[in-house]
Amino acid sequence: MSTIETQMLEVSLGPQHPSTHGVFRMDVVLDGEYVVKLKPVMGYLHRNHEQIGEKMTWLGSMPYTDRLDYFCSMTNNWAYALSVEKMAGIKVPERAEYIRVIMAELTRLLNHACAVGFLLSDCGAWFTPVLYALRERERILDFFETVSGARMMCNYMRFGGVRVDLDEQSLAMARAIVARWPAFLDEFEKLMTENEVLLARTQRVGILPRELAINASVSGPVARASGVAYDIRKVDKYGVYDRFDFRVPVGETGDTFDRFMIRILEMRESVKILHQALRDIPSGPCIAPESKLRGFKVPAGDGYGRIESPKGELGFYLVSEGGAKPYRYHVRPPSFVNLTILEDMCLGHKVADAIIILGSIDIVLGEVDR
Amino acid sequence: MIGKGLMDGLVVTAKNFVGSYFDGNRKERLFTYQYPEERMPLPENSRTFPFLVYDGTPDQMRCTACKVCETECPPQCICIVMDRDANGKPLRRPTVFDIDTSVCMQCGICVEVCPFNAIKMDCDFERSQYARFDDLITHLPTLLKSNEYYHQIKSAEATRVDATRKPAKKPAAAPTPVKPVPTSTDMRTEDERQAWQRGYQGEVGAGEIVWPPVVLKKQSARTPLEQSVSSAPAANDVPWHDSGIELEKRMEMAKERPLADKLMAAMAQVDCQACGYDCRGYANALASGESKDYSRCAPGEEPTKNMLEKLMKEAGKI
Repeated sequence: MSTIETQMLEVSLGPQHPSTHGVFRMDVVLDGEYVVKLKPVMGYLHRNHEQIGEKMTWLGSMPYTDRLDYFCSMTNNWAYALSVEKMAGIKVPERAEYIRVIMAELTRLLNHACAVGFLLSDCGAWFTPVLYALRERERILDFFETVSGARMMCNYMRFGGVRVDLDEQSLAMARAIVARWPAFLDEFEKLMTENEVLLARTQRVGILPRELAINASVSGPVARASGVAYDIRKVDKYGVYDRFDFRVPVGETGDTFDRFMIRILEMRESVKILHQALRDIPSGPCIAPESKLRGFKVPAGDGYGRIESPKGELGFYLVSEGGAKPYRYHVRPPSFVNLTILEDMCLGHKVADAIIILGSIDIVLGEVDR
Repeated sequence: MIGKGLMDGLVVTAKNFVGSYFDGNRKERLFTYQYPEERMPLPENSRTFPFLVYDGTPDQMRCTACKVCETECPPQCICIVMDRDANGKPLRRPTVFDIDTSVCMQCGICVEVCPFNAIKMDCDFERSQYARFDDLITHLPTLLKSNEYYHQIKSAEATRVDATRKPAKKPAAAPTPVKPVPTSTDMRTEDERQAWQRGYQGEVGAGEIVWPPVVLKKQSARTPLEQSVSSAPAANDVPWHDSGIELEKRMEMAKERPLADKLMAAMAQVDCQACGYDCRGYANALASGESKDYSRCAPGEEPTKNMLEKLMKEAGKI
């Protein structure tokens, strides 16, 4: 058998490529169809978010955080509000904590539904699953618009609570969404989970070993799929998460299928949390009385607040000089950190698999580049 | 059995396909609206772009040109110039109120910080324009909308606001009609226009951002009175000059100070100029006897008015 002299092929995937979920580029070196080298290139959506944060008042940064991970503006708001509240020592009223949990878990539902939908799109199930996911997401977006005034750029949380209270009508709306969701999940799972093509494409593809996940400080569903039982809702118990009964699903092999499945299971757990939160929500004020909009100042010092956003650990590190603006404003975005292990997961796989591995990390470029 | 999962999936899609035609009276399955003939009802909280509310006629706008929204707007898309009469006396209303549609990010912070319930969010989302720069700057006449319109789009909220507002004041003493606002091309020379078109982001390197780069006839004529009284002392001299501090605390801070400082501490500390001065200037005018009207601090509302009255009475000024 004679060997043929072959050459490495360098392919630039992106930044304008539908499978890269935004303006992200992968410089891939291919041997035949196999990836031998992969370099993620970021920065096409850089818009100076952190510097803008240092020029804004504390409140002024809040609408900008919506634009980080534009799928999950509610959780972004929460993470920022949480770190400022930590520094300023503001106590959040109980009702506001429950509203925050409801909003965050609904955000998790819509984010995970879209994430698995787009992952299936990447696999070649062209748009049927993602349309089913978007159809359900629309209900949550309608709910967000009813409450906060905007579908995606909610700008809903304030230091010490939330901007608008939930009335009975919107609570009923949320209950209807939650009641419907398990049926959607069942339908979705029936549609895809046992599909032989999906199994062949995702099982034992893009394995992320547990040690590497820990060393690379990967968080969120990606880490949990690799067997790292780490969920900030359980670890930090921020807000009122210690009051809810829910489990953290953990994967075994850390392959793409596990990352797909973890998200479905997490949605089921989120539905559980939502049922409890909507049942137990107390009455009372939705914003702390000491919270104020104008002339808000934070005592000098620094603080780091983090939450379990749908994509992983979202943290805000803020330094205050005691004035009306932060001295330093830094974001720890989950998508960006999770993206750093892309090469390790893709090496040795076919280029078509690199696409679904990227899809299974679930990145949003607004957050990666900031 | 190989292929069973695949077949199951196809059954689901088939069900959805058929179900989208025969909805069996489940109205909520139908997602498509035949826009623009058929419109989705918007929720009341829905927000797109700010507008200014007036009661009755456009002269009676609620805005006092206090510039709180201009200061707090995160992307700095609002430009306000206060109207002045022939003598340069401020008229407590804007002559220029421009909002740049292309910069506004519809966050609604202007609505939250407005002390007068003057600026509210509209629900109108059909805002496309033909010209890229001129048409996208929304001027005062376009921004002004009646309270009835506000009731029409957000009835519950508007009723709430009406309940908190005092009964409608009688119109200003000399109601001059709202001047037709010149278009931005009239107000700017070609050079200035180009400077604006380069965008304010371009100015970042050159020190503090000045936006818009052209100051539109700002503070052309100050009265001798104001010049004499508004020589504000350094900021560290007036520790209470922070709208976040409670009135009682501010009074505590100014306890040992002369009357002018005490009066200043009683004010709302927003330098809104609704009274015709900044906080320091109004306090000096009251203390020196140039003005006896202690009811002009609009953002401070009743508590400030009562405190000023008490201080003035104690000092024997009224």
